[in-house]
Amino acid sequence: MFLGSTMFRHRWLPIFLVAPLAVLVFLFFYAPVFQAFYWSFFLERPFGGGSEYVGWDNFARVLSDPEFWKASGRTVLFMATASSLAVLVPLILAIAADRAVRMSLPARNILVWPKGIAGASIGLVFSFVFNPFVGVLAPLNSLFPGIWNPSFDGFDAYISLIVAHVWGNIPFNFVILLAGLRAIPHTIIQAGAMDGAGPWRRILDVQLPLIMPQLFLTLVLEFTESVTSAFALIDTITKGGPGGATTLLVYKIYLDGFSSYDLSGASTQTAILMVFFILVATLQFVLLGRHINYER
Amino acid sequence: MVENARSINIVASLILLVGIIYILGPLYLTLTTASHSYEFMLQNGLVWSPGDEFFVNIRRIFTETSIPRQMINSLIVALGDAIATCVLSFLSAYAIVYFRTRWAGVVFALILATVILPLDMRFVTTYQVASNVFSPINALLDATGLNDLIAALFGAPFHMEWSILNTHAGLVIPLLAHGMGTFLFRQFFLTLPRDLFKAARMDGAGPIRFLVDILLPLSRSTFASLFVLTFLSGWTQYLWPLVASSTADMQTAVVGLARLVPDEGAVPDYPLIMAGAILVSIVPLSMIALLQRYLVQGLILSEK
Amino acid sequence: MNAVDTAIHVAAKSIRLADVTKAYGKVNVIPSLDIEFRSGEFTVILGPSGCGKSTLLQMIAGLERVTNGKILFGGKEVQDLEPKQRGCAMVFQNYALYPHMTVAENMSYSLKVAGMTKPERQARVKIVAGMLGLGDYLDRKPGQLSGGQRQRVAIGRAIIREPGVLLFDEPLSNLDAQLRHDTRIELADLHRRIGATTVFVTHDQVEAMTLADRILILNKGQVEQFDTPKAIYHRPASVFVAKFIGSPPMNILPAQGDGSVLRLSDGQVVGEYGLKGDFQLGIRPENVVVEQGMSGGLAAPVRFREDLGSHSIISVDIAGTPVRIATPFGGVVPDYTRLAVTFPMKALHLFDGQTGKAIPEGFGVASKDGK
Repeated sequence: MFLGSTMFRHRWLPIFLVAPLAVLVFLFFYAPVFQAFYWSFFLERPFGGGSEYVGWDNFARVLSDPEFWKASGRTVLFMATASSLAVLVPLILAIAADRAVRMSLPARNILVWPKGIAGASIGLVFSFVFNPFVGVLAPLNSLFPGIWNPSFDGFDAYISLIVAHVWGNIPFNFVILLAGLRAIPHTIIQAGAMDGAGPWRRILDVQLPLIMPQLFLTLVLEFTESVTSAFALIDTITKGGPGGATTLLVYKIYLDGFSSYDLSGASTQTAILMVFFILVATLQFVLLGRHINYER
Repeated sequence: MVENARSINIVASLILLVGIIYILGPLYLTLTTASHSYEFMLQNGLVWSPGDEFFVNIRRIFTETSIPRQMINSLIVALGDAIATCVLSFLSAYAIVYFRTRWAGVVFALILATVILPLDMRFVTTYQVASNVFSPINALLDATGLNDLIAALFGAPFHMEWSILNTHAGLVIPLLAHGMGTFLFRQFFLTLPRDLFKAARMDGAGPIRFLVDILLPLSRSTFASLFVLTFLSGWTQYLWPLVASSTADMQTAVVGLARLVPDEGAVPDYPLIMAGAILVSIVPLSMIALLQRYLVQGLILSEK
Repeated sequence: MNAVDTAIHVAAKSIRLADVTKAYGKVNVIPSLDIEFRSGEFTVILGPSGCGKSTLLQMIAGLERVTNGKILFGGKEVQDLEPKQRGCAMVFQNYALYPHMTVAENMSYSLKVAGMTKPERQARVKIVAGMLGLGDYLDRKPGQLSGGQRQRVAIGRAIIREPGVLLFDEPLSNLDAQLRHDTRIELADLHRRIGATTVFVTHDQVEAMTLADRILILNKGQVEQFDTPKAIYHRPASVFVAKFIGSPPMNILPAQGDGSVLRLSDGQVVGEYGLKGDFQLGIRPENVVVEQGMSGGLAAPVRFREDLGSHSIISVDIAGTPVRIATPFGGVVPDYTRLAVTFPMKALHLFDGQTGKAIPEGFGVASKDGK
């Protein structure tokens, strides 16, 4: 390809243009990422108390800690349930909004509102809504005492988190999936109708297969999103409780690093979490490499 | 649609109605709760009908909490994040797409890799870097042995300290180390016809002229989309401002709001908190109302 | 239909539109149509974009509802039925193949929906693929096919169900010129073999002229003319039709009759004519006679000349109106700047000056016997 005529040749200007962002990315992305791995091999004392090389000791310590495994297990569980629900609910809404019904217009407007509301804000709202004594389910508790109490029942707390998480992640997933549905040429839907497939059948046979790229993408992004954005919800709704039942890894890292000042432990767990997500990203890359994108 | 399928349209309408209630329900309860007194809430719990204490609670936010001050912080963080991200991403994407360099591909990959590990995942060590921005450079000089050389030449090794913790800069700058904006602009530039570039060159435009006269005006809506996206993301940050600010007057409004909940014991003063939540959400929500088109467009672009 | 030729057997049905109207909100796309497509007939609906031809096709298919009126297939009312209940098939402009299905799956999807077993479907696919020369591509996805091949898959998908009514929505417009020509011939052949009642929408007059048993010319949702290609060419019912058919199109000039002669707007006499009033006079480019020498006839200053190999098109001005003349290439016309031409009376078409409708009294020999 003859690129020469479609690009500028300049030695310093492009470097100068890209430098500001590159420096920031180096300082605040690569340095911290490197440091997380680096520190996981050192015993770091807080408040600049010096550090000492300890080899794999930190990993041995973290990996033998049952709390780490519990938090990891909860993280994976949350990832699986929260992200699939956070894709499924917007998917159903998007399929509904794709039909020419009167409700579609207000829905398309209102369903993006959560994008403007901080996870912590809506966490506080849901902590109130789900409060066992004054919340929406309080009347249920007076009928069946103890049936709903997120501050004692880990499962209830978990449900609260998921409801709040799905709430906050509707906008992005809804918009992406709806855009995918609307990008399907109208004639393909008509062809389906001519072939005798009714609306329900077309959803399964035509629409869903054709938005596979978007479905896949939202699900992959949700994996990361569910693990990181859960922090604000946990900190405002459950504080990791009851009894650590909703302490996901990110929250545990926060507690270890900023409450217990165990920087080495926090760094080691960060490093492990990062390795996990690098694997997820690689997997995503490999899977996206397979062509689920159809030429239309 | 294709058929006159009444049944499926009714089902679709019902689903959308449930979706709207799911979104609006908590928001509505926020409003009603904010309009009652603490005592009323303790007695009656959650109430669907509005009361008359709304402005009392709003006034309490202004008199009893730091939230007004913190909203200024949030505004600084959100605006700073949005403006800086727009400028930096635009420039770097321009360099990557329109210049013939050997490193463009690698640099783009390195910038894009930032989306894999978000700040909320690497906050512990980012905190350490923010506590001394020069620490990576110091470490680099130490590790490469350059500092021995510097020490020999200037009598002391290079060691500088600069903490940006608990400053506005510290709240904003780590948010900028993100590749989404560059990606967005690059995608947009790639959709522009190459002939546009050739025509501009034929007309004698150099790199700067092309940037200012051609790309900048064409990129207006991409700028708007990225601006809305990063503004909202900056405003709604929680974990980073939580760890990066140590005093109430440097916290963002979202963090300050969460701090209104007492650590243990009593039922929190929900009317006050909800009034605060309304105040905190007004800016981003009105932004969504005004610039929804760009938000939706930005979300779609960020996917491609 | 020739059953030896093909294993696809259709029971062709006539299509009747009885006082059909279509409005989107207040916009009346089709004011009122009352037409019948005969059983087994190949009808082409021709018209400029926005004339309502696609809407009409969609209403026949059941993809759009009629606002008023009835649609009857073989005498049975279908206007309230869903597409799948009408038993018609359609080939779309952009083919509308399912990109995620193979060629075989694309073609047999309707059979699958209808509940046919897999072996039966496979047998059918094999027959249809054989007819269309798609046998080697059954496992490919549409994205791996050329435009012409996709076109065949779309046709295969339509005919596999043996539809009594076969609809085409500008199916050739995405093909290049050569392929369009070849596909046109194949379509004509296919129709001869299958015999389904076929409605074909296009804006291309060549497709209409070559494919149609009858052409329906639509303008603003109303029928301008519905007749055989020959009749449409030789006896256009209106100025609209006259200008729409023929390449280059018929020349139209304003003219006046004073009861004895017909004059152009600048007073030049075209010929003798007994009717009074304002007319629009039409003459096809190939019917204009260039006088040998420079004298007599109508004065025609030459504007330019295009040599097309087989013939030349000379653009002239007659009475201030541009007129095109088709002459044999390198023929009688040297490089003059002025020509003298005559309009043979038997080749003239006369339309009402106001309405643009053909004058029923006719004019000349050509418009009477349809030659």
